[in-house]
Amino acid sequence: MVDILRQLCTLDATSGDETAVRNFIINEIKYFCELKTDNLGNIIAFKKGKKTPTRKLMIDAHMDEVGLIISSVTDKGFLKFKTVGGIDTAVLLSRRVLINGKTYGVIGGKPIHLTSGDEAKKLPKADNLYIDIGAKDKEEALKTVSLGDRAVICSEFLSCNDKITSKALDDRIGCAILIQLIKQESEYDFYGSFSVQEEVGLRGAKVSAFSIDPDSAIILEGTTAADIADVSSDKQVCALGDGAAVSFMDGATVYDREYYNLALTSGIKCQVKRAVSGGNNSGAVHLNKSGVRTVAVSVPCRYIHSASSVADINDINSALALAKHLINKICGEAV
Amino acid sequence: MNIKETLFSLSNAVNVGNLHEASDIAFDILSKYAETERKDNLTVIGKIKGESDYTIMLDAHLDEVAFVVTDVDDKGFLTVAKCGGIDLRTLPARVVTVHGKEKIPAVFCSTPPHLSSGEKEYTDIGELKLDTCLGSSAKDIISVGDYVTYRQKATALNGTIVTGKSFDDRAGVVCLLELAERLSRKKLPVSVSFVLCDWEELGLRGSKIASFEVNPDEAVAIDVSFGDGPDISPDECGNISGGAMIGVSPVLCREISDKLFNIAKEKGILHQAEIMGGKTGTDGDVISTTQNGVKTGLVSIPLRNMHTDVELLDIKDIESICDILEQYILSGGVSNG
Repeated sequence: MVDILRQLCTLDATSGDETAVRNFIINEIKYFCELKTDNLGNIIAFKKGKKTPTRKLMIDAHMDEVGLIISSVTDKGFLKFKTVGGIDTAVLLSRRVLINGKTYGVIGGKPIHLTSGDEAKKLPKADNLYIDIGAKDKEEALKTVSLGDRAVICSEFLSCNDKITSKALDDRIGCAILIQLIKQESEYDFYGSFSVQEEVGLRGAKVSAFSIDPDSAIILEGTTAADIADVSSDKQVCALGDGAAVSFMDGATVYDREYYNLALTSGIKCQVKRAVSGGNNSGAVHLNKSGVRTVAVSVPCRYIHSASSVADINDINSALALAKHLINKICGEAV
Repeated sequence: MNIKETLFSLSNAVNVGNLHEASDIAFDILSKYAETERKDNLTVIGKIKGESDYTIMLDAHLDEVAFVVTDVDDKGFLTVAKCGGIDLRTLPARVVTVHGKEKIPAVFCSTPPHLSSGEKEYTDIGELKLDTCLGSSAKDIISVGDYVTYRQKATALNGTIVTGKSFDDRAGVVCLLELAERLSRKKLPVSVSFVLCDWEELGLRGSKIASFEVNPDEAVAIDVSFGDGPDISPDECGNISGGAMIGVSPVLCREISDKLFNIAKEKGILHQAEIMGGKTGTDGDVISTTQNGVKTGLVSIPLRNMHTDVELLDIKDIESICDILEQYILSGGVSNG
């Protein structure tokens, strides 16, 4: 699992540019399911199980990650950019980035020696940041970079003491779990959706849900964990090491309460996501056609949407076990 | 000596407090060209004897900006203090290395969006905890007083433009090593002391004692200075790829500055002026007031994003400095003036 996750996280796939991750996943799962790639680039996989349930089940994980898109080049050869998905400028200042998988650059700024007062205390607006690729002018910059190119913050994949640190844990963790579910033998048939463009408005899952037309759905995600120093328990949302997080409600979805209870009574280590905030592909999937009964299984990630998110491998294993349990209960019509 | 390779190996190494990887590398290289000794305070001093005892001291600093652990809590979060000027705004979600009993990667906590209301202010490093992911076992591996450093590996960007951590002042150290190699093959009219010192980033402390020890007749400090960027006023910076920045300041010796300019012009070596109204913020400030006073010059490499792990410079600017200073030493500095 850690090895697959390492390979997935090392690939770059900002929203709308998921090819590298899609190719990797197709290569991993092609002998274990029937699959197709739809018009937006979602992978829709059909996993044949031992039994065909009466309820059609869709399991979703998104392939895309947050990043940057190059929007213009200044006369002096600096690249201006826009953010793709929700990135805090606090995690952009003074970072090395990789553009289009081949050109390194750095997000520069005025040195601390030359800043004072409010300027030194407050974050600059993303509009005022730029990427420096060491080009001497615009013409030289445009020899290696084109407008619309994508950039990601460079990160190392680190794994120690059951903890994993990397960019893109949201949602390569979900992808890694879904890959495992497809590779392993399943009790029931299900559809897997590796979706595109989650970070820019849950766009891929909207169309994959339409084409799969499920009765029920499980969404595999990474969610924010604030179990960090100086944050009181009521504001932590969820905590690393306490198992998969299950949501009753977030900013985009009111979840199916019976499915939610199935998770909590599963006997598998899990915790309740203690906040009504954020959202994931459930928001698009549960409103598909006449509605879909939906449950989200999330892995807690500290510093989500940064290039150094932290997750616990035990929580990932809990999420995998919980997903399997839910497949069997939902398809076995326990509720 | 391959300037780029040497810069990269020095940049990837760590040098703060009791950690002296860069000092070890520099000592090994300098020993090949000069009579070299190490002082208790981690200062490395190499000497090449010339025809006269008149001594020109070349100075660069080995230390880097870093952090030191001030508290380890039961959940594996650290509180740190700064060793040198670091922009707190660049820290959230940054991975650094904690030098405990083992090298441990750790992440500066980044406040999740649901907890940030309004504009956050970054004023106190005590509020920016460091997550070791070790839980309660952190206390077994990490102690108060352990150092924490950037962990970025140097890389080339575009041609001779390179980026990495600690180019401030490993780039200056590379200049000294390159000059030692070049000058070791030549007959010198004066003696040269190559001084690689410690603790510049905490207030020019290493150079104060090193220059007392060497007590040179004159000195040139080699450091980095602000390179141009979209948000920096042109009179506060030099141009990347614009050549050696020759310092002119009330605290520096005008004679030395003038001679450096003349050499650069005569030999057609790329250079630019850096005019300062007083202190230079470099070792030059303390060398000049050593013992009875030392005539001191300053040459700087233009560098962007100073004190971050994405410092950026042009290798060609390092070469320009070496070319100018080689001629400067061969012509005896200002010993005839």
